[in-house]
Amino acid sequence: MVLNRIRNITTWQWILFLIVAICCLGSIAFVHQNHSFYDRPIAKVIDTTIKEETSVTDMHGNEDTLFVQQIVARIMNGEEKGRDVQLVNEYSSSGAYDQQYHIGNEVFVSIDSKVGEQVAGSITDVKRDKYVLVVAWIFVFTLLIVGHKQGLLAIVGFVLNVLVLSFALDIYVKYYEVSLLVVCGICILLFTTISLLLVSGRTEKTYAAIVATLVATVISLSITSLVIWITSGNGLRYEEMQFLTRPYHTIFMAGLFIGSLGAIMDVAITMSSSMFALYERDRTISVKALRASGLDIGKDIMGTITSILFFAYISGSIPMLILYLKNASPVGFALSMNLSLELARALAGGIGIVLTIPIGLYTAIFFIERKRARI
Amino acid sequence: MNVLVWLAVILLVLMIWVGGKSGARSFVSLFFNFGVVFFTMFFMLDANANPILITFIACIVIGCISLFYINEVNSKTVLAFIATMITISLLLFFIVLVSQNLMIQGFGEEEEEAIAGLSLYIGVDFVKIGASVIIMSTIGAIMDVAISIATTMHEVFKHTPGLSKKELFKSGVSIGRDILGTDTNTLFFAFFGGYLALLIWFKDLHYSIGDIVNSKIFSSEMILILCAGLGIALVIPIASWINAYYLVRAREKLNRVQKEER
Repeated sequence: MVLNRIRNITTWQWILFLIVAICCLGSIAFVHQNHSFYDRPIAKVIDTTIKEETSVTDMHGNEDTLFVQQIVARIMNGEEKGRDVQLVNEYSSSGAYDQQYHIGNEVFVSIDSKVGEQVAGSITDVKRDKYVLVVAWIFVFTLLIVGHKQGLLAIVGFVLNVLVLSFALDIYVKYYEVSLLVVCGICILLFTTISLLLVSGRTEKTYAAIVATLVATVISLSITSLVIWITSGNGLRYEEMQFLTRPYHTIFMAGLFIGSLGAIMDVAITMSSSMFALYERDRTISVKALRASGLDIGKDIMGTITSILFFAYISGSIPMLILYLKNASPVGFALSMNLSLELARALAGGIGIVLTIPIGLYTAIFFIERKRARI
Repeated sequence: MNVLVWLAVILLVLMIWVGGKSGARSFVSLFFNFGVVFFTMFFMLDANANPILITFIACIVIGCISLFYINEVNSKTVLAFIATMITISLLLFFIVLVSQNLMIQGFGEEEEEAIAGLSLYIGVDFVKIGASVIIMSTIGAIMDVAISIATTMHEVFKHTPGLSKKELFKSGVSIGRDILGTDTNTLFFAFFGGYLALLIWFKDLHYSIGDIVNSKIFSSEMILILCAGLGIALVIPIASWINAYYLVRAREKLNRVQKEER
């Protein structure tokens, strides 16, 4: 049976499989040997001893244990390659901003002093690339094994979208006068076409879904901007928005729309493909029947897709909330500081999702009617 | 008035307008889900509690709300629930392993400004909290796939009751494949949108690729996206197998009963 299966694999599949395997092994071998590509010195931990252990209680009564760790590490690149460096690492058992190192870990170090043979330094960061890569390959293989062609297309779509986004942000950062909203508008156009064409091919239902996605995105964008404009942003705590190098308002709006785009596309393609399936099954189906069953499908998926979005946004703020509450912040303050933007994103996304149901419904009916008129 | 209140009211009105009664129910379940996340967080404040265990219980509650309250208790939702729980357990194990090796717990240096002035030695285990966050972010999508597979497989079985276990499994996986692309898309874009500011930050401050890949915040974000995709992919064979197993067993039982009656 296994033999039979192997015989059924076509040459193309073999070639694809071979390419993936070579890429996988090659890239893993590369990240294990890429130390010389980094400018910063990298050291591999070869010995650790715990020097000190102290229990601390902070001003809010939280108990924790602090450790001081003496580390000997061998430098892997640069001028000092092959020499041992003495490092001191302080870490806590909660590990919010620090961590314990074990033998075999690779870390970025900065060399502070050289006295004879003794090199001392401090740890600046962890070399994480090899683990990220391994997880990425596990992801790729799982998607390929479970999803076959659809899995491959999902990966291709992801990579293409990342490239588009990265390119668009390059343009935005380079030319200061380009508005972020224009860049994002073009991005949304490209994301929608790329993702939907990959998900369901060049068919009428894809075109219907693309039109529905764009219309719904524009309408929900207008509603959210209108609400923010009317209330003049009351209740949104931008001061907790992180990583700001630019005006916060536009970045927030742009993020909001890219964020809800995936969910809107999901609804649009589900609506249009199931309505086209109904039409294919019975070419004489009335518009009224189509509308009724389309609405039923919409009702079914509305709740689940909104909750996907809700969980994805809300959960991310848990660590920061815990930190705030453990620092004796009042609950209301901590929530409004850390959750207002996430909640706004989730709610705006939800509005987009619900709006897509009627929009997707009528777009699909329009396309079906046009197809019917042609025949 | 507050932006959030406005948006929530608009969402409620739209949901009722489009979905009627079931729309209202979807809104209520969003509210409940939010409450569960909120309570989960409160339980995690206790330094002696195990965040993984709390997450697991939270997932059970979320599953009950989203599967049993929105639909109802029947073989489809129970099977979807079991499949979700198995997937989450596998994923949790994997995530804890990965985040210990990657050291991606807690906050990165890019977040220094936000955490300045706060005491960081608060005694909770950030590795486990990080794992919980990933699970909570993806549970919505995992449940969605599980319930879609269960519903469609029951439908397939009703129309063609003679299918073997293997054929049933195959039909389940092929249903799952169709949802795989769109659901991963939903999550990818949600995460992209949330971290747009971070990406612009990297570009503005001219991070090299090496700096980006090794930074704590980027790798934790990457792991979140990859694990979300992994969860969605993993639930497909698990849900298909459980459903196939149950359906075939139910049929055999029925046949046996019919034989005995004769």
